[in-house]
Amino acid sequence: MSTTSTSATQVLFDAPGPRGRRRILLISIVSSLAILALIALGLWQFQRNGQLAADKWLPYLRRDYIAFLGKGLMGTLEATAVAAVIAFPFGLVLALGRISRARALSAISAVWIEFFRGIPMLLVVYAFLLALPAYGVNLPRFWMLVVPMILVSSASTAEVFRAGIGAVDRGQDEASAAIGLSRGQTMRYVILPQAVRLVLPSLILALVSLLKDSTLGFVVSFNELQFQGKTMVSITRFLVQTYVVVSVIYIVLNFLLTKAAGLLERRMRRRAAEGGGRSR
Amino acid sequence: MIRFDHVGKTYPGGTTAVEDFSLTIDSHASVVLVGTSGSGKTTLMRMVNRMVDPTSGRVLIDDEDVAGVDPVKLRRSIGYVMQASGLLPHRTVAENVATVPLLEGVSRRRSRSRALALLEMVGLDHRLGDRYPSQLSGGQQQRVGVARALASDPNILLMDEPFGAVDPIVRAELQKELLRLQSELGKTILFVTHDIDEAFLIGEQVVILRPGGEIAQQGTPAEILADPADDFVESFVGSGVGKRALHVDEVSGQQVVLDAGDRPVGVLREGSRS
Repeated sequence: MSTTSTSATQVLFDAPGPRGRRRILLISIVSSLAILALIALGLWQFQRNGQLAADKWLPYLRRDYIAFLGKGLMGTLEATAVAAVIAFPFGLVLALGRISRARALSAISAVWIEFFRGIPMLLVVYAFLLALPAYGVNLPRFWMLVVPMILVSSASTAEVFRAGIGAVDRGQDEASAAIGLSRGQTMRYVILPQAVRLVLPSLILALVSLLKDSTLGFVVSFNELQFQGKTMVSITRFLVQTYVVVSVIYIVLNFLLTKAAGLLERRMRRRAAEGGGRSR
Repeated sequence: MIRFDHVGKTYPGGTTAVEDFSLTIDSHASVVLVGTSGSGKTTLMRMVNRMVDPTSGRVLIDDEDVAGVDPVKLRRSIGYVMQASGLLPHRTVAENVATVPLLEGVSRRRSRSRALALLEMVGLDHRLGDRYPSQLSGGQQQRVGVARALASDPNILLMDEPFGAVDPIVRAELQKELLRLQSELGKTILFVTHDIDEAFLIGEQVVILRPGGEIAQQGTPAEILADPADDFVESFVGSGVGKRALHVDEVSGQQVVLDAGDRPVGVLREGSRS
């Protein structure tokens, strides 16, 4: 399947000629200059207001600053990891439920998925922070953040899995039936392994949004990066600097994740084209 | 022995794929169902392993109605080769061949060595066993498909246009290979194709179908050629005016065979059976 899509891209993509290349170069230079100008403008503004002063930035190399933000980073990573480890398998279960032949199960899964996909995560967090304690359900702060993350993320990954299952060649279903696999066996041994491979890059991107969702930790005062940053601002009054540093950490993390997804996708496409390595 | 007993198939929408079809296929025989698309040939074949259930009539294997057999169990006891090999892309060739034996509880080592032996049997190097299907050519994939169909040592082999998707040269090779295999294994083969040449080559018995699964003629290839039942059969096999309408002319004392366009295609030899 990927083989055909690769060759299709090659067929549909016309390599630009000399004029096209010149135009691309020109546009690249102009847009780069525009971006640089914007950055320069921003820096100039900061400069005018004294925000670039060394004594406002150097503290971020101090051990206690790093430890403080590092604690937040750990909290972020921990919440994201725990949420992903639970949400992704749960998403798969929801997807299987939704495509199930049992009408009731399928309907319940569909409603569940659509509900948590449609609702802003902040509302779910509020439910756990404000509504549920009124009924005596009091979770630790960590879970007040992570449970909503799981509920919301599993609903969207369920749709990712469902799309992946739908993308597996229909002939595989039939071939499996013809050689005598039951429906369950077909799903387990044939469809799911292929579907999971197909959606792996999308799952990593789901991880990115999960990581960003964890910033809602500040609502429940869980010590994740964003919350630590907020606390730091209220102590140090370094508003711009703190949020720049925090943003850079988020950007780097997500960039690495996205990069990993791209790498994985390319590896799998190559693998599909060549048939790949021997391991499995 | 496979017996179709007045089977019919009408789909819920009201389309009738097969009206009323009866046929007996003896054990160890190779029978080819041939017809244009819409003749119901694939539908009929799929009734044997219950990929399709007839809406009327019965299909019996060794006098047992297949309707009473669990589909999964039935399909595991019948080899099935399909057009686009239907191999699982995420499993190695050997694992593909061993899929059903593994599910039946045969040990990993035994099913693997059996898979490798089967690959050799269908004319593939056993070292291909560790490759993935996409690393094989179309013809090789098709051979793997045959090996997989033989994995559980079934008595019956269903072949659904198995060589339809490969180029003519490879197809000829695969056909020859199938004939060799059949002479060694003596399975009961039900083969479906729209290619009359292939039908005459593979089938001891050939069944020519009209739309709706109606039998236009059945018999050995020679019988059908010698005495086509009607115009439909005649045009289908090309014995009227097509490439099989040969005639003999004498050229310098030799009997030369000419086709419908008077082009020479061969020489007639006395008792030319060798």
